[in-house]
Amino acid sequence: MSLLNTLLTALRGISSNLLRTALTTLGIIIGVASVIATLALGNGARASVEANFRFLGSDQIQIDQDLQMDKGQMKASGKPLTYEDGVGIPEAAPLVDRVEMKVSGQAKLRHGRETEDLGFQGTDAGALLSVIAEGQVQPVGWPTDKALTPEAFIGQGRFFSTAEVLGGDSVCVLGYQTALDLFQGDDPIGQTIWVNRKPCEVIGVAAELEAVNVQDRIGTRPNEGIFLPISFAIQNLFSEEPWVTVIAHVKDESKMEEAKAQIASYLRERHGVTQDADGTYADDFHMTTKQDVLGAQLQSAATFSVLLTALAVVSLVVGGIGVMNVMLVSVSERTREIGVRMAVGARSRDVVAQFLLEAILLSAGGGILGIAAGVLTIPLAAALNQGAALLDPRSIPLALGVSLATGLVFGLYPALRASQLDPIEALRYE
Amino acid sequence: MNIIRTENLTRSYVVGNSTVKALRGVSIDVDTGEFVALMGPSGSGKSTMMHILGCLDTPTAGRYLLEERDISTLSKDERARVRNDRIGFIFQTFNLLPRLNALENIELPLLYGKHDGNASQRASEALKRVGLGERAQHRPNELSGGERQRVAIARALVTNPALILADEPTGNLDSKTGADIMALLVELCAEGHTILMVTHDAKVAAHAGRTLHMQDGEIVNGEQIHVVA
Repeated sequence: MSLLNTLLTALRGISSNLLRTALTTLGIIIGVASVIATLALGNGARASVEANFRFLGSDQIQIDQDLQMDKGQMKASGKPLTYEDGVGIPEAAPLVDRVEMKVSGQAKLRHGRETEDLGFQGTDAGALLSVIAEGQVQPVGWPTDKALTPEAFIGQGRFFSTAEVLGGDSVCVLGYQTALDLFQGDDPIGQTIWVNRKPCEVIGVAAELEAVNVQDRIGTRPNEGIFLPISFAIQNLFSEEPWVTVIAHVKDESKMEEAKAQIASYLRERHGVTQDADGTYADDFHMTTKQDVLGAQLQSAATFSVLLTALAVVSLVVGGIGVMNVMLVSVSERTREIGVRMAVGARSRDVVAQFLLEAILLSAGGGILGIAAGVLTIPLAAALNQGAALLDPRSIPLALGVSLATGLVFGLYPALRASQLDPIEALRYE
Repeated sequence: MNIIRTENLTRSYVVGNSTVKALRGVSIDVDTGEFVALMGPSGSGKSTMMHILGCLDTPTAGRYLLEERDISTLSKDERARVRNDRIGFIFQTFNLLPRLNALENIELPLLYGKHDGNASQRASEALKRVGLGERAQHRPNELSGGERQRVAIARALVTNPALILADEPTGNLDSKTGADIMALLVELCAEGHTILMVTHDAKVAAHAGRTLHMQDGEIVNGEQIHVVA
């Protein structure tokens, strides 16, 4: 019998009892939906890490001060992570190519009678490259297809140089709005402002910036702020030694763990962190890589995924047994039909093909409904996993394949049984 | 030419630890265009004979030649092939598929083998031949008993088989309808079809050109029997 005719015959078989067919596929629907949801969780975790840590390159290790709550204030646990600590890293950890560092805090700015209380950033000369890498802000009206350069972020003057950072020069770059507020339209370049009572020369003003994401444009103020050389900031703007954030660039991405170990042993030595009795270190810093964040996110998705995978397996087995059951009933109900088909010339393989195809169509139908159900379940899974669930496009062919395989496996026995019927007995069957 | 030639056909069944002999060496010849009735009481072996002749069963011993080809040793799939191509069945209970309409029921054998021409056109011609041209789209439960048997006869005819096997074709019909069906079978025989009919009703058997009587697994009327020792 031709494939088309076999298909039509199988479709007719299924459609003869729609309610029974629908109930049979319920297990497969749930199983397939679980497969879709499970994969969406893993995919969502990955996507959320991509979105939230895109500034952290895969070759980068972020080193932060370990903080503790003390009388309502965040305090460094142990010794603060200092600028000098950071400077020594490339030498102490051979796998580290270079480091970037920054500090941040609040400062009072004054020029003439105008004052501003705002957040400052003490950075390296390459800070604008980091701003570009973070990808959160851009000059107003920047075309999406045009690559950003550090120069594009400067409206007037220039950014400070490495020499100025190393020298701790008192220079600064103002945000677009901050410059307007302090200078009321006068040219700020070359003027001196007071930052926490320290004089500081304005050498540049940032271009007018906006958030890259349209929905982020309300509530963020990218044009208020001041950039200072990190050395100047540390010396003049803190009452006690501040902690810095260090980004270490590793030469070889495949050796991130070794690089972390080198950095850790260097910092432990400098901070006098010793091994506890149980072999662990009470580090006063912590290191983060993209892989760590991803690992943690996947870990949280994994707990949920294990449950869903178990549900998927159980449902598919139950669904498969359902298919087998309904096919056995169908074979038994249609014994006479099978006898007639054999009498007019159906071979065993024709009968196998007919019933196997019926089982596969049944489970594929369940699979398609399951995919729809799974896609609809994703928002729910997202709510249970801190918003991290995103449809993985590969999961659709996978789920369809799983349901087809279920139909094939569980439809085989009933189909073989049908094909082994004795036509004489089958024709006599009442 | 002999359409059917059997030589000393034997069929025994093992029931528990005893052996039941349903056929005890049956040898018959049927010529092309003959209408032969096979008569006998229940248990005489006529159904077993019919199943073997219809390639639904194989003999325990002896030979069965259909169109001079030995088919007693064919495999299961080869027998399916012969049933599809060379044999048409007519059953007492019609055995139409309830979900298919008349035309689709008639097409069924054409779908299971290689046959010339357009299947639905051939089915439609067969349906016209049995006088039901206008009932093509009706399902079996929308047809009378006589109409159902006509559809079944059309299904048996559609592949243009060498042999039509009819098993009590009028058994489920009233006498008037039964007579119509017999008239149709006689007509088909006159057109050159070879028909072998199993019945226990002498009046029905009277329509056939020749009657073979069976009893206890043997042919009991001696004429035209070739006994091969």
